[in-house]
Amino acid sequence: MNPGIIKTLVAKDASLYLRNRLFAFLTALGIVSFIVIYFVLPSSVDEELEIGLYAPVLPPVFELIQEEAGLKFQIFESEEALIEAVTEGDYAAGVALPADIMEKFASGQKPQITLYFPSDALEEVKDAVEVMIRELAYLQTGQPLAVELSTEILGPDMLGEQLPPRDRMVPLFAVLILMMETMGLASLISNEVEKGTGQALLVTPMSVTDLFAAKGVIGVSLALGQVVFFMVIVGGLNSQPLIILTTLLLGSVLVTGIAFLVASMAKDIMSVMAWSIPVFITLSIPAFGVMFPGAVTGWAKAIPSYYLADTVHQAANFGAGWGDIWPNLVILLGFNLVIVWGGIMALRRKFR
Amino acid sequence: MANDAIVVEGLTYLYGELVAVDHINFNVAKGEILGFLGPNGAGKTTTIKMLTGQLKPKGGKATLLGMDVATNVEKVQAEIGVCFEDTNLYEQMSAVENLKLFASLFGVSAFDAYALLKRVGLAGREKDRVEKYSKGMKQRLMVARSLVSRPQILFLDEPTVGLDPASAEAIRNIILEERERGATIFLTTHDMLEADKLSHRVAFMNQGKIVALDTPHNLKQQYGKRALKAKVTTRSGKLEDREVILDAPETPKAIHELFDKEKVVTIHSEEASLEDIFIKLTGRRLVE
Repeated sequence: MNPGIIKTLVAKDASLYLRNRLFAFLTALGIVSFIVIYFVLPSSVDEELEIGLYAPVLPPVFELIQEEAGLKFQIFESEEALIEAVTEGDYAAGVALPADIMEKFASGQKPQITLYFPSDALEEVKDAVEVMIRELAYLQTGQPLAVELSTEILGPDMLGEQLPPRDRMVPLFAVLILMMETMGLASLISNEVEKGTGQALLVTPMSVTDLFAAKGVIGVSLALGQVVFFMVIVGGLNSQPLIILTTLLLGSVLVTGIAFLVASMAKDIMSVMAWSIPVFITLSIPAFGVMFPGAVTGWAKAIPSYYLADTVHQAANFGAGWGDIWPNLVILLGFNLVIVWGGIMALRRKFR
Repeated sequence: MANDAIVVEGLTYLYGELVAVDHINFNVAKGEILGFLGPNGAGKTTTIKMLTGQLKPKGGKATLLGMDVATNVEKVQAEIGVCFEDTNLYEQMSAVENLKLFASLFGVSAFDAYALLKRVGLAGREKDRVEKYSKGMKQRLMVARSLVSRPQILFLDEPTVGLDPASAEAIRNIILEERERGATIFLTTHDMLEADKLSHRVAFMNQGKIVALDTPHNLKQQYGKRALKAKVTTRSGKLEDREVILDAPETPKAIHELFDKEKVVTIHSEEASLEDIFIKLTGRRLVE
């Protein structure tokens, strides 16, 4: 490899990229839009807990608690209706009291109270509801541990912690920004093949390796530069910056490899778009899974961007360390090796 | 041979089952212009691609300046300039930027892009984006790009095709200037007059094979028919054409008879053209 030649090619590609008004506009528009959306979204979670209650007989203390700030009870006529509403995600929790609750309190027995939670309920919400019910039972009977609680999770249980919506969206935005770069780089390469300029380059003393190294450098630099700019603006690097930067670097390599593949299949700008859109959608799916826990099932782990979005999510939002996320990074690196190698092989044929 | 810039031995290339170049042999001396002629699909461009390191031969060997192209691609490419048949410039960049980019790739530090552009007739338009250029201007810029490294061997693939006469003449003049500089020039063209005028030797290629290779003069001598063409006035006052074949045993007698018995109005000699010879050798026209 010749560093001087690679530097010349990178400067040329950067110049051509910036002169492509369509992609320059789309890139700027995308980044600005994501930043605006981030700041428009709520910065804090709604602190009022809405709880559904099915109570054939309503103990007097439950009537009092309805006046508490931060709590909002909704009475349901049947336990089935309560379960349905909680499953739909309309309530943070559901509480079903037994019909004989007052008799059991009176006889000193522990009535069985069932708590329902949606699959993505946060642990702190579950804890808060349990404590609240035990408190109410204590207020009613004057006895500690006056009730038996059973908990049912409706839908798949999703571990998680309560996050402001905009922080939850950061990994999605990061993936989308990186993916936008796929189209830009693929278009740049495809144009080089279509216009024959690649052929002109390959009869100079530069090697094919120099050409791919330059394309790789420009692809990774543009993708990484844009996503890091976004992360800095939205404060996404405040927690575990080194881990996040490493992850974004791997993500940039991933989209560069994908751009090579797209460019190897595309013939012009329209076919770059046509190939990029399904790739764009597929790679976005895992990031949506981070935004909406439970919306995406295990198969999303077969998509390389899962390990990108999940790592950014864990590190940026929960402060996950190297010990927590290294398997993700290793898998992402493995995907990168396969995709970049495949992209180079496919593109090499095109330049012949 | 030490004096040869290009030596080709048994060079072969196949696209699948199709033999595009079939065991060709030739050499080009340093400072020589070789016209490489043939119709579309004859194998000219494939030959250039192998000589310039873009394609690896399926058989045989090409040596440029003493270096085997297959094993010294980058060293060979540092010594050559290539002007492609199809325009392949960075159209969003200016002419100066295009030339400086390629000068940088060749490692040419002291390079005056403006002087080169002036030489090819693009002075005053140096900073315009290439997309605003006419076809002729783009072709001149393509030729200029092939010259940025002052190459020892210049490959020009149909450099004047589709150009207006002025642009074509400008490019022919540059080719002659490069010959004066001492460059070896490998020129493919459909234009027989151009090949005749510029080339020291011409090679005819047909269906992957070289069917003739010699100086234009020798080819005409060997394959052509020389004649005297005359217009005479008959006794009834009508103008008629007469032809006397030269180089035949009866030629002197025929010439005497022409002047003794006819009233010659005009007379001129006619040589066979390279086109005639190509048709004679291959049964095909260059442009079909």
